[in-house]
Amino acid sequence: MIGYILTPEQYNQVQGQYYSEYQFFNCVLSIDNVWFLFLSDEDKTVVSTTKWNWILSLPEGEYVPPPSPPFPPTI
Amino acid sequence: MPRIGVGIGVGLPPIVAAAGGYDADAQAFFDRVTTAGGTLTTTEKNATNQLVLDMKSAGIWTSMKAVYPMVGASAAACAQNLKSSSFTGSFTSGWTFANTGVTPNGTSAYMDTFLNISLQANWVGNNHFSFYSRTQTPSGSGWNMGVGNASNGLPLFGLAVVRSGNAAIYDSGNFPVDRINVTQSDGQGFWLGSASSTSSRTFTKNGSTIGVSTTITTATASNDTIYLGALNNTNGSDFFMSQECAFSSIGESLTSTQASNFYIAVQAFQTTLSRQV
Repeated sequence: MIGYILTPEQYNQVQGQYYSEYQFFNCVLSIDNVWFLFLSDEDKTVVSTTKWNWILSLPEGEYVPPPSPPFPPTI
Repeated sequence: MPRIGVGIGVGLPPIVAAAGGYDADAQAFFDRVTTAGGTLTTTEKNATNQLVLDMKSAGIWTSMKAVYPMVGASAAACAQNLKSSSFTGSFTSGWTFANTGVTPNGTSAYMDTFLNISLQANWVGNNHFSFYSRTQTPSGSGWNMGVGNASNGLPLFGLAVVRSGNAAIYDSGNFPVDRINVTQSDGQGFWLGSASSTSSRTFTKNGSTIGVSTTITTATASNDTIYLGALNNTNGSDFFMSQECAFSSIGESLTSTQASNFYIAVQAFQTTLSRQV
């Protein structure tokens, strides 16, 4: 999955910030401890009209998730 | 234009909308959507109004704390709680909104309902989750809604429908000993988990029971809010899923009869909107 790559400073700027009244940015860490932000096409349309439109110019890359923690066996 | 509703299910009387307008609770929801900047079609309003009437007729309306009918195809509309002005949601980035429902990306997207289960009276012994999934193929390893700590022996409450490996799950208690885990290959449908006591939990799909648990749970309600689209993990990264949601609710426990009638009402709602599965 392709997402925007954020520096730690950029992450601190955007994480949890609202870009519309009912939507906020949520970033996730990759397996390499790099922050990624995923925007749907609808998100991009909204973001493009806000002060956050600089996000749309950030570099993009393929996100590799960290391994899931081992769940206990189900009963 | 309000329409006459027909009785649905066994034993339910015919329902007639209030003369001259919609049900007061339905109208209040429409007003919240409008105030938020969302829009609803006449078909969506009529369907939602009938849903409210049917839920009241079935005696389940008062058991609801949060009802998200996912109409309006926007964050502003879909964030609104049909039951009341409480628990208006907030969506993260990464959702797609459509006339058929809302779909998270399965990687980073969730909706915070702001419903803190520790503030609900007797949550552990009296709760329900419901999720109408329009996604057939099992996928993911997270939860479609919930809150808790995915560590052995700690409290976790939520639904997963349906994970890779064909696992459909209702958690209400300590993970995983109090879990109901059933094999299901089709994720589409109306999934409902209900706990009526600390030793009685029922999992239904489309109104029919698919699993029960009678373990005596010692869990306490997590001091945190329920997410939709993921588990709000109180101990680290959240666990995301990507199934399309066309309805969801949170509230008090429901009997098997109520669960059946709830499905009938929700399915009629979905059928009116031409998005039933």
